Amino acid sequence: MNTKNKYERPVINKFYSGMMNKFGSQTIASPLKEIEGKRLNDLTDKFGSPLFVLSEKKIRQNQKSAIRIFKTRYPKVQFAWSYKTNYLNAVCKIFHQEGSWAEVVSEFEYEKAKLLGVRGENIIYNGPEKSRESLITAIKDRAKIHIDHFDELYDLIELTDELKLKARVAIRVNMDVGIFPKWDRFGFNFENGEAHQAIRRITAQKNLELIGLHTHIGTYITYAESYKVAASKLMNLANWIYDEYKITIDYIDMGGGFASLNTLKGQYLPAEQTVPSLDQYADAIANGLLEVRYKGEELPTLYLETGRALIDDAAYLISTVIANKRLSDGTRALIIDAGINFLFTSFWYKHKISQATEADAHTENTAIYGPLCMNIDCINEGMNFPAMKKGEKIVMEYVGAYNMTQWLQFIKMRPNIIMIMNDGSIELVRKAETLNYLLEQELLPLKLT
Amino acid sequence: MHSFINSILYSYAQIFFSNRRWFGAVILFATFFEPQIGLVALCGVILSNSIAYYLKFDPQKIESGFYGFNGILFGAAVSFFFKMDFTLAVIAVIFIFITFFITTVIEHYFATAFNLPGLSLPFIISFFIFIVFVTNYSFTSHNYSFALFEETKYSAHFLVKAYFQSLSLIVLQPNFLAGALIAIALLFFSRVLFVLSIFSFIVNILFLELLLPQISANILLITGLNSILTSFAVGGSLILPSRKSFFFVLFSVMIIVILTGFFYRLFYFAALPIFVLPFNFFVLLAIYSLKFRKDQTDLTLLYFAPGSPEENLYYHLTNKARFENYKYYFAELPFFGEWFVSQGFDGAFTHKGEWKYAWDFVVVDENLSEFSNEGESLKDYYCYKLTVTAPLDGEVVKVVNDVENNKLGQINIAKNWGNTVIIKHDFDFYSLLSHLEIDSIKVVEGQKVKKGDAIALCGNSGRSPSPHIHFQFQPTDKPGDKTIRYPIANYLEKVENNWQLRGFDFPKEATIIKNLETNKTLKKAFDFQLGEKYKLEITHNSKTEIEEWEVKITNDNIYYIESSTDDKATFFIANKILYFTNYSGNKKSALYYFYLLAIQIPFCSEETIFWKDHYSIAKLPIKFIRYFSEFFLMLNHFISATGKFSIHTKENSSIIVANKIEIKGSSLFSFIKKNFAGHISVDNEGNLTGFDFSQENKKLAYVKFIN
Repeated sequence: MNTKNKYERPVINKFYSGMMNKFGSQTIASPLKEIEGKRLNDLTDKFGSPLFVLSEKKIRQNQKSAIRIFKTRYPKVQFAWSYKTNYLNAVCKIFHQEGSWAEVVSEFEYEKAKLLGVRGENIIYNGPEKSRESLITAIKDRAKIHIDHFDELYDLIELTDELKLKARVAIRVNMDVGIFPKWDRFGFNFENGEAHQAIRRITAQKNLELIGLHTHIGTYITYAESYKVAASKLMNLANWIYDEYKITIDYIDMGGGFASLNTLKGQYLPAEQTVPSLDQYADAIANGLLEVRYKGEELPTLYLETGRALIDDAAYLISTVIANKRLSDGTRALIIDAGINFLFTSFWYKHKISQATEADAHTENTAIYGPLCMNIDCINEGMNFPAMKKGEKIVMEYVGAYNMTQWLQFIKMRPNIIMIMNDGSIELVRKAETLNYLLEQELLPLKLT
Repeated sequence: MHSFINSILYSYAQIFFSNRRWFGAVILFATFFEPQIGLVALCGVILSNSIAYYLKFDPQKIESGFYGFNGILFGAAVSFFFKMDFTLAVIAVIFIFITFFITTVIEHYFATAFNLPGLSLPFIISFFIFIVFVTNYSFTSHNYSFALFEETKYSAHFLVKAYFQSLSLIVLQPNFLAGALIAIALLFFSRVLFVLSIFSFIVNILFLELLLPQISANILLITGLNSILTSFAVGGSLILPSRKSFFFVLFSVMIIVILTGFFYRLFYFAALPIFVLPFNFFVLLAIYSLKFRKDQTDLTLLYFAPGSPEENLYYHLTNKARFENYKYYFAELPFFGEWFVSQGFDGAFTHKGEWKYAWDFVVVDENLSEFSNEGESLKDYYCYKLTVTAPLDGEVVKVVNDVENNKLGQINIAKNWGNTVIIKHDFDFYSLLSHLEIDSIKVVEGQKVKKGDAIALCGNSGRSPSPHIHFQFQPTDKPGDKTIRYPIANYLEKVENNWQLRGFDFPKEATIIKNLETNKTLKKAFDFQLGEKYKLEITHNSKTEIEEWEVKITNDNIYYIESSTDDKATFFIANKILYFTNYSGNKKSALYYFYLLAIQIPFCSEETIFWKDHYSIAKLPIKFIRYFSEFFLMLNHFISATGKFSIHTKENSSIIVANKIEIKGSSLFSFIKKNFAGHISVDNEGNLTGFDFSQENKKLAYVKFIN
């Protein structure tokens, strides 16, 4: 049978002659047509576009291998899922099933964790804002309260005296580990002695039990050795506590901040080549902790609040091309139905974007814009991308972290989130928002009717 | 006074290898069927024990009847063979002294030189001296005969009577009723001994009939009592009861018959009654001979303080099941996290012959793959460059740190062990860790290391085609010396999605294993310290009582908890696990239930762990079935009891240790099935708060700790 050849839209490409450069030859785009055997078009047909897709298998794999990597380097390790990274019930539940606790930074996250069956003792309550009410709950639940500042410490002293209950606390410590920016707005400073002072105050209180030390040196840290410095400093602080007060602390919490495979906007080389592997982070932390021999009775457990590195690559955002355009300077532009409202991280990441259908091997510098009627709604200012037709699908990868928590309900309602389960089934884990959902919270004063 | 009475009663019990006071009292009573004999025997033991107390021998030994029973036999024999008068009594008193000294010397010498008991040899020697002395003079007359029977042989009546009389003659009572009483006491003390006494007596008759059909009844009694005593010794009391020991009894009885003939003839002209000499001769000979075997796993000789044969067997079996591989130094796995045993003992590749007790460890992922990507470089292997730790405290005696890594698939036979650390542990045994990463060894020769210290990284040097650790215990500091079978004190083995606790065990090939992680709360609750006191409220049959406990220690460093009800539970803590080892006392106390529930508790609270332990069925509340099954104990140990444990954490972070004890019978006794269950609760601060114990679904006891 004589089939008609597929129509290919003409592209204009600058012609490069001669040798290929050190990054190889010209990019040839390869499509991502399915996720775990599910065709993207089938998924959007059923659940609409745009659509977030999560993979249960990938999440479990990530957590399992992270546990393996850390536990083979340090004898006692406990992960706590960082709720703010992605607090969808389905996601949190998987992490909890894999043995991870909950790390929360607000009252509602705290309550959410409890609703998901996490015992108070297995909740790490972080963050600079903790209301008195939530502190009372946390004290009663025996949650691990990580104190951020002196005012919070004073609140705790007052509350535990009133309640005649013991609070189990740790302090968050910030320190110079040789990287920029220095995150000194959280916790007590190590170098200027503020941390020691906080510890003195805590140990003087009979109702405060100092059980741990916490630090979180930053986010998207690409220099693993910083963690080693931080770990040693905390272990030295733990030894100081033991020397001074004969208190054996239960744990050292190294927080999170491991980079994922997303490339930052300012980065020249792709993340695959610059970001340390989890093994390297783990080596750095374990070495930092073990090199300083702990003097207390039992080695403290290492807590990790890893978020991004465990979830980013387990989620995809499928979007549909709304229109093709040429900008005034001749750059080709694509308008898609998901913008910065759903892909908040595109403010700082160059997300990996692929077409969902078999497309032309030729690519052209293309800007990708979202659907918002706002100038800032730009997903990518220019990347090599094949020609797309209206209605065709494109996929953004590594979108699991922060997007499903920081997304905006702005101009558009937030879309469906589905999860491809281990058994191959597909479950809707968050329904697309509707006008009713929006109106539910609104009150129209009678005077205005 | 109390202990003096004990010393007398236990002396009587000792004659029949019993350690029960009541049993001694029954025997004492039985000796009074012929009151004169009973009285002189009693005087004999009172005198013997008085001498021992007066001369300050070990009071514990005296109380256990150790020095008294030869006095009983001597006294009984004197008045059995001679007419008592004043002169004879004076001489007998002197001879009690002689008996006592012979006893102490023989007991001590046999114990230290041969590790054997003295049995009644002191009595025989002393009594021979006595007879030789007395019969040289004519101040006394003796009724020196066993002429007890006039009846025709082998009526049923005769056989029963002869059996009883054989028993009663052991304590030199001519009255067969004394024997009947002893038989009943035996039945209550030990079904095994009771069965043995009948069996040995029957074998004795059949064999005698085969050899000497016309023999007199007196010979039958002499061989009979020797056979019975011998069967007790080799069938249950000195050798643990088993099928094999039952056969051993069969042959022993035939040997006894022959030996009796020999000794009878030998001493005939000296006019000495041979009495229990054949039994003493043969039992000491046989037991001593059995000590020279290379494999002592059957016909097991008693190696601990004796109880009844049943108790001995239960103790032995339970001990074997629980602590067969126990070693005093508590080794751990030499790494952090979960590893896979890629080659175990008697492995297919290199763990053969003298090197068979070694392990190779690697790390695998969920799909049991050792590497990520294509596994084309060392870095792809999960275990490559992971930390290797010291398995035990010790001193580093050898470090090889300069062997290059092999390329994947290649091996270095010239430097077979590659980079290696050898650590010397107490009592001169060594551990070897090999195939380490070049230049990764952080310790130097002569350095002291602690268990769990990071000492090197896993590499691929020596005879190693892909990264792994080789680990073995060995007797010298020579790299790659022959291996020693030494257990890991405790570790967890992955079973499906759970972790089974293994104590004093050897990681098996193709299993995933990891070290135990201690939980502070459980450790605080179960790490009993000397002098700790507890107050409890036990509700039992709707009665509530207060019980108190105190943690104490014996002179030989055995920890125990003693309750205000005078019960004792011994325990020890091995590394990270609490083990209860024994319980003695009342089976209704809170301590008893606690002993059952906490027989093994690791200080680890992972929800996914579970463990099992074995119980001695003598310690469980199932007396009647057990007694019944013990008639057949020589055939098989039909009833077994296992506890299955798990851990649950409650909403408020208190921890529950749950235990299900299952008692199951096999073959003949497969109808037996009983379940007990219980829970111990520990609050979130690590205090024991209470426990409950139930049978099927009926609560037997509910206990609360009161502060």
